[in-house]
Amino acid sequence: MWSSPIAMEKVSLYMVDVDAQRAAMTLAQMAVMHPLESQAGDQELQDYPAAPYFSVYHDLNSRFGKIAAYIEAPFEQSATTTGIVTLDELQGLDAQLKELWAQVSRLEEQLRRQNERINATRQLAGSLQKFSSLDLDLARLRRRGKFLRIVVGTVPAVNFDQLKRALSLASYMINRFYSSEGIDHVVVFGSSELAEEVHDVLNSADFRGLKIPEEFSGSPSQLQADLNRQIAQENKIEGELKRELSGLLSTHMPVLQRAHDLLILARPYASLATVLRGKGGLVFLQGWVPARRDREIKGKLERDLQFPFHVEFSAPEQNEFDSVPSLLKRSWLLKPFQGLVRNFGIPSYREIDPSGLFALSYIFMFGMMFGDIGHGAVIVLLSLALWRRFPGVTIVGTLAGMSSVFFGFVYGSLFGYEHVVQPLWMSPMHDPVRILLVAVLWGAGFILITNLLAIRNYIASGLPDQALYSGKGVAGMCFYLAACYAGFQSLAHGRFSWLEALLLLLPMAVILQFQWRQAEGGLMERVLVVLIEGLEHIISNVSGTLSFLRVAAFSLNHVALAAAVFAIAGMMDAFGHGITVILGNIFIIVLEGAIVAIQCLRLEYYEGFSRFYSGKGKAFEPLKIET
Amino acid sequence: MSGFSSDYLQTRLTIYSNRLLGFDRLVGFIQYDLERIVAEVQELTGHYYQLDGGNSTPIANQLTNRALDDFLILVRPFSGSERRFFYFAIRWFELSNLKVLIRGKFSGAETTKIEQELIELGQFADLPIKKLLETDDPYEMLRLLETTPYAGIVRRARHMYEEHGNDLFLLDATIDRSFFIDLVQRTRFLQDEDAEQVSRVMGGLLDRFNLLWLLRYRFSYGLSAAKSFYLLTTTGNKLYSSELMRLARMGSIEEVVAALPDPYRDLLANISVIADMEMVMEYYSMSIAATALHGKSSLLASSFAYILLREAEVRFLQALIKGKQLEFDAGLIEQALGVRS
Repeated sequence: MWSSPIAMEKVSLYMVDVDAQRAAMTLAQMAVMHPLESQAGDQELQDYPAAPYFSVYHDLNSRFGKIAAYIEAPFEQSATTTGIVTLDELQGLDAQLKELWAQVSRLEEQLRRQNERINATRQLAGSLQKFSSLDLDLARLRRRGKFLRIVVGTVPAVNFDQLKRALSLASYMINRFYSSEGIDHVVVFGSSELAEEVHDVLNSADFRGLKIPEEFSGSPSQLQADLNRQIAQENKIEGELKRELSGLLSTHMPVLQRAHDLLILARPYASLATVLRGKGGLVFLQGWVPARRDREIKGKLERDLQFPFHVEFSAPEQNEFDSVPSLLKRSWLLKPFQGLVRNFGIPSYREIDPSGLFALSYIFMFGMMFGDIGHGAVIVLLSLALWRRFPGVTIVGTLAGMSSVFFGFVYGSLFGYEHVVQPLWMSPMHDPVRILLVAVLWGAGFILITNLLAIRNYIASGLPDQALYSGKGVAGMCFYLAACYAGFQSLAHGRFSWLEALLLLLPMAVILQFQWRQAEGGLMERVLVVLIEGLEHIISNVSGTLSFLRVAAFSLNHVALAAAVFAIAGMMDAFGHGITVILGNIFIIVLEGAIVAIQCLRLEYYEGFSRFYSGKGKAFEPLKIET
Repeated sequence: MSGFSSDYLQTRLTIYSNRLLGFDRLVGFIQYDLERIVAEVQELTGHYYQLDGGNSTPIANQLTNRALDDFLILVRPFSGSERRFFYFAIRWFELSNLKVLIRGKFSGAETTKIEQELIELGQFADLPIKKLLETDDPYEMLRLLETTPYAGIVRRARHMYEEHGNDLFLLDATIDRSFFIDLVQRTRFLQDEDAEQVSRVMGGLLDRFNLLWLLRYRFSYGLSAAKSFYLLTTTGNKLYSSELMRLARMGSIEEVVAALPDPYRDLLANISVIADMEMVMEYYSMSIAATALHGKSSLLASSFAYILLREAEVRFLQALIKGKQLEFDAGLIEQALGVRS
């Protein structure tokens, strides 16, 4: 329950450059090394030998991604996860994909334009439909009059007003006869002499004119048929373009599959572009590895590398703790809780991983706040039903539900009925003050545990002064214990003597003195900072403890909600009673269950983690083969 | 906005407006060497900037990032349509990246060169810069851009490109024009008082762009009156549609200037070079913004005015520093910045 991230060692590997790719592949297959940007030997090792490789890899990967987006079927998984991909191979493949992408992009552009044409023709067909009720000879629109020019077409509605004014400068008029979906259907007419100038303006306004065929001399319905044929023809062209694109991709599938496979193999070495340093024929690689795997790593490198190399492992120095990644111990039971902890932050290398404590306290508080045998059992069953799709939800839900069942027996509550099962302890409503007191005691215990964890984290991080004198350290814990004692004496016996005052003042004086040493700035500023922080410390302890009253409040709320459901059901006939009780229970499980789950999380994060957990760690992200 | 937030914003605006350098002071910097310019800017603004030698972030980016940090503080008290307007107005900065990308790809510039000209916008960035830089051809980039919030602007820019080719001025003007149309549309969702005051600040800007575009389209590109007018954006404070239509029919720059309404006629009298007019018009539009910032405008209008003034200041300083880094003499920098001696 109190585990820290797994102990790590720094690995420093010196080798000849021709072995660098092999080393990257070996380490990636083992998935044991979190690469580290080298600080050592900066002056001597100024080159980045993997950088050119990364550049080609990046281009190839980008092009492959763009082309792969057009392919629906998944790529076959490569049979091999070993092998070295040379720079020449990558460059050759990149050239092929560049050419292929140029063809795909050209076809995509043609498709885009074809799509625009289809839309424009459809709009014109729509425009023509407005004429169909009129017995108008459209052939008149085709004829270029000596004095008058008339054009029918569409224009984006946003351009209409400006276009109207602009055309008036050329003594042309434009009339809108229909408007739909941001497109205006218009008639433009004016002097034939200025037709060229007007054409230019219309073009800028994205005007699409209705073209009347030369041979045409009929009514709108005949032209409609002509436009429909045009749309069909354009759709056909679109279909051909799509088929051409599909054919092109099918033809190149072997190349794409090869690119897919090679990219997987090339990735480990490419990803070392900014960390692998070198000079001449020598390269240097550093990273963090789990301490217990050093021999295994050395043995594998000895088998795989062709030339002599030097590898050394060293424990992290205190000044390196910040850069050491955190690899958490795996546990299938704690995995979903680790996910919730990660939402707050990843434990630093020397910090305690609070997942175990989190899981226990979360489950305990959920049950205490939502204690009901029936409701808990429903949560367990629903959680189990989600096992295949959401295993994490199943684990958290089942444990929380079981806790709910347990507390249901403690409170003697079954689907809100308080008199069916004999309580092991008592129903919360039986003695609300007592349950509130239990919640406060639980809160005090919880805060003391977090205090101990904070002290432990300070010591592990090499901060003994913080561990002893700070508000979260031993002094802070003494102050909190004294406050609990003084509170108890005051409430239980109405007594607050010099002893209680001394017990409170002594640790507070230590905390304030420590803060005084830490504070920077002028005298007044320091005084203010120390006083405010001291006050904040007192308030946060009191409010933090009282915050746990919600644990009792929700257990009372649970009973009250059930009572409300039964009161409403009592006003119904037998059938209505049954329905109300069922719906009321569903309401309680869904709504109150969700609220309690969130409140527990809130208590964990704000009253727990904020007291001892920085969450500023880095996740262990090893070099690995990603298939 | 609560009374507290309003007081807070007012205080912030007062502090920020007092830190603005002002055009006259900026022009004075042209005579200084680079180190002294940076030192003066630091002293007057209270912001620490470092020349590229000692900092991985180029100073152009430092200036922009600092301005964006301040905008972020100003935007916090706003909510709803005011906040959306504010965020959209700040997109003005990202338009410069959009222009760099479009120009760069169409001119076949190297990716690293395009990348160097881009400005880091942090959380104000909407463009997927990395993906855009990885595109292999300009049309692929346009297709990708059409999936961003700039889709409408990009479609119009594409249309302009296909009509007129890679003409930098036309491309830039098309992008700016679309932006202004969208910005003006957003003022419709503001409360009446805010909308009116913001429109007044924006009006100076729109007059400036419309007049300069009209002059260029008509007399540099020889476009027809109808097309020149069509390519203008929403109308501003003085140059209404009827006014612009009348001006578009004129046959020379002198005629246009003589027919301008006050105060533009007086401001531009005796100037016949469009670049010189640009500087005068910018100075005038900024004076409208400064009046709004220091006067009794609404908080939104004052904040908008501040954005305009700060953007102009950042743009001036970036150009000045670039000129100094390229070791141009003061005269050449004055010419490039359009400052008349």
